[in-house]
Amino acid sequence: MRFRPLRALSERPLRLPRLRPYVPQPSDPPIFWFDSERKDIVREVVQRVTQRHTADRRRMELVLNETALAEIRRLESQRDAESRERLPHWRGLARRIARLSDVEKRDAVRDIVTRYAEDVAGNFDPRVYGFSKQAVPKLLAGVMAPSRLPEELIGETLIGELLRVEGDIEHLRRLQDRGTLVYVPTHSSNLDSVVIGRAFEQVGLSPVVYGAGKNLFTNPFLSFFMHNLGAYRVDRRVTASVYKEVLKTFSQVMIERGYHSLFFPGGTRSRSNLIESHLKLGLAGSAVSAFANNRVHGVDRNVYFVPATINYELVLEGETLVEDWLKEEGKARYIIEDDEFSKLDRWIAFFRKIVGLQAACIIRFGRPIDCFGNEVDDEGHSTTPSGRSIDPGTYVERRGKPVNDFARDAAYTRELADVIVDRYREETVLMATSLVAHVLFRRLVRETPGLDLFARLRVRGEIAMPREELIAEVGALRDRLVHLQTQRVVRVNDAIATLDPRVIVERALAVWNGYHTRVAAKELESTVTAEDPTLLLYYQNRLVPFATRVVTNAQDEAAAAEIAHIGGRR
Amino acid sequence: MSDARHDARAEGALPIGVVGGGAFGRGIAKAAARTGHDVYLWSRGARDLGDPRIRVTSRFADVAEAELIFLAVPSNAIATLGRELGGHLDGSHLLVHVSRGLVGPELTPISRLLRDSTPSRRVGALAGPLVAEALIEGTPSGVIVGTNFPEVGDAVREAIAGPQLRLYVTSDIVGVEVASAMVGLLALAAGHAQASGVGPAALATFLTRGIAEATRVAASLGAEADTFVGLAGVGDLLAVMAGDERPEERLGRALAEGATLERAVEIVGANIEGVSLARRVADFGARERIAVPICTAIADVIDGMPAQEALRALMTRGSG
Repeated sequence: MRFRPLRALSERPLRLPRLRPYVPQPSDPPIFWFDSERKDIVREVVQRVTQRHTADRRRMELVLNETALAEIRRLESQRDAESRERLPHWRGLARRIARLSDVEKRDAVRDIVTRYAEDVAGNFDPRVYGFSKQAVPKLLAGVMAPSRLPEELIGETLIGELLRVEGDIEHLRRLQDRGTLVYVPTHSSNLDSVVIGRAFEQVGLSPVVYGAGKNLFTNPFLSFFMHNLGAYRVDRRVTASVYKEVLKTFSQVMIERGYHSLFFPGGTRSRSNLIESHLKLGLAGSAVSAFANNRVHGVDRNVYFVPATINYELVLEGETLVEDWLKEEGKARYIIEDDEFSKLDRWIAFFRKIVGLQAACIIRFGRPIDCFGNEVDDEGHSTTPSGRSIDPGTYVERRGKPVNDFARDAAYTRELADVIVDRYREETVLMATSLVAHVLFRRLVRETPGLDLFARLRVRGEIAMPREELIAEVGALRDRLVHLQTQRVVRVNDAIATLDPRVIVERALAVWNGYHTRVAAKELESTVTAEDPTLLLYYQNRLVPFATRVVTNAQDEAAAAEIAHIGGRR
Repeated sequence: MSDARHDARAEGALPIGVVGGGAFGRGIAKAAARTGHDVYLWSRGARDLGDPRIRVTSRFADVAEAELIFLAVPSNAIATLGRELGGHLDGSHLLVHVSRGLVGPELTPISRLLRDSTPSRRVGALAGPLVAEALIEGTPSGVIVGTNFPEVGDAVREAIAGPQLRLYVTSDIVGVEVASAMVGLLALAAGHAQASGVGPAALATFLTRGIAEATRVAASLGAEADTFVGLAGVGDLLAVMAGDERPEERLGRALAEGATLERAVEIVGANIEGVSLARRVADFGARERIAVPICTAIADVIDGMPAQEALRALMTRGSG
């Protein structure tokens, strides 16, 4: 079952009619101001981007030619209603560029930028927000466990059980009143934006602005909320560099104005389920520039990055994602339109599978850092490695004065990426499925010496472990991880930290079987067989950075060392 | 920041800080003084250099008056020193080190250590065919600054570059740091090989393969291969072979002539990073599955294996 017939409708922003504009209250989160500032923000974005591209004739011609070419290419391959509507415009412009006067060129650049900015900027409707706060958990609960719907209508017990939110939430609550929060979570599933939005609500954090891929707007259910909850649209098909600049500038202006924001720095869902180690911080870089620009203009508003991990027992689109990774088509199929996310029956199967599990999804917020990777104390002050408070404004100073410097901000952003990657590892919460998959996959590697990864993935259903041995090794692995947790290396789901390893194995097998179309591991009498190495690889990949540190058996050391190299050196 | 420093910076009269009173620290202080800067030179055994522009101090707070600070201390002192100096720094300081070391079993670059132990983020590494004597005397030379921050390159250029010192900048800071450290290692080996009577062809093969090996190590640490054909790699090694009397090379020679390691270090009178680095690179290579036969051979020779035996092992190994 797919949503395709409704796609055309969903791409048009659906808005509720309003007779009087909403007047935000002082206690409202910043995003409640968005609709009243939207025009201003778009104007500001258009003005900044246009100014950068119209400094001289050469630059204007370059941007017009490059944009027209990129758009013609995109629309020719798209072959849809937008193509029919917009192709003649771009072809006409491409022909005319050389003949345009400077004033006309400037107007043409401004028109392009304005159109992009209007397309990117979202809306925020407090009524939709209020409704979604109440209804979404109940809707999800209804899908997951219809029999529990009556009690859900009174409380929110089911979602509360399924989704656990961890971290120093009190600290974040204080910081959101002192500066602008920029959340940078890991990205595994299209469900991420839904569950993290729900997590904010669950623990009383302000809603955020975030960029959502235009493909998410093709699901009509989500699209309505996306259009009205402050999400801005990112169309990954548009390759023109001026479009990317509009996106970054939009994000920068929002952060400058104090809108709490969220980016997925991995850029796209982790195809491999490896903890992300190569981040694309284009949009997050706009936060550093926002901080600097505010300082240049005398505005003392701090920006706090909050690394977060989103950890699933079962990943809705896991099967498609890992295939995509293995085919090395990640780039070519950047926007997967036919994965489990677009199939309603897969959603229902997914939720039915995880219902009843304690903490099937854990969102863990890490310690906040400033734009320069420094820790931030309770009062929001940046602190040095020795615990001394310092003014983050000094990082954007030269000769004692704050200055804007794009190259500097880009360099800070790259360095920040290193810190975020380290935090991702520390804050990753390992689930039962990862543990069981790791033990089975490690055994498969051990039993197939000399084979490369792809050859191993063809060894289906041949490697089996005695059930009791699997249980013992999962127990040893769990204990080792609990020990690493005390050293702040990685974390393990509290729900399994003290659980009988026998139950951990049962939990993992039960979660996999019956949801994924392929069987990950099969239990037969007293053995468990590694039935689908690809799925096991996917779930165990979360453990790759720790593989050599969790070995307790000398016979597994070589296999662990091999596993540690999956995905290259980090 | 003090108001006086703020005013001085605004007016363009930028003092330069130098940490380390060894030959390199003194050389940088001299070079900066020559280009018209006031210099704070931090040294534990403070002594006057006889230059009115260079103020020798034992207080880190003085050095922190500068925006640009050079660190000319051995890599094994960087972490401690970073913490001490870091207590006086903030985000406005630009740090540039000249160390030829990589730290610990993971071969951590010094820039990483500085970022972890100080509040400074704008860091750089200075390397290339530059010896302390050339800096002190002001004889023509060239250097390269590796930094992610273009403004750090600009500040170093303003501080020490001039008609006698040509300066290049690259964003591949890790490449510069690894190249500089590995050339130190190869210089040690070259000194040893020459004193052991190894011929020019064998030496050229050995060093060329050594550069290839260094490039592999660097790539695994995230550096770019191209950096090794620049001043920090090949350029630096050519200066060694042209006879710039590098301490590393002298140490290699002393070892080949039969001195114990302790005695050789005493003869050279300088801290040689390559001595401890060789074994760590060899172990790193084994762990990360990177072929490092030359570093392994150097480590074996430092540990006492006869050079001829090490060379024979290298010459007879399978080649691709």
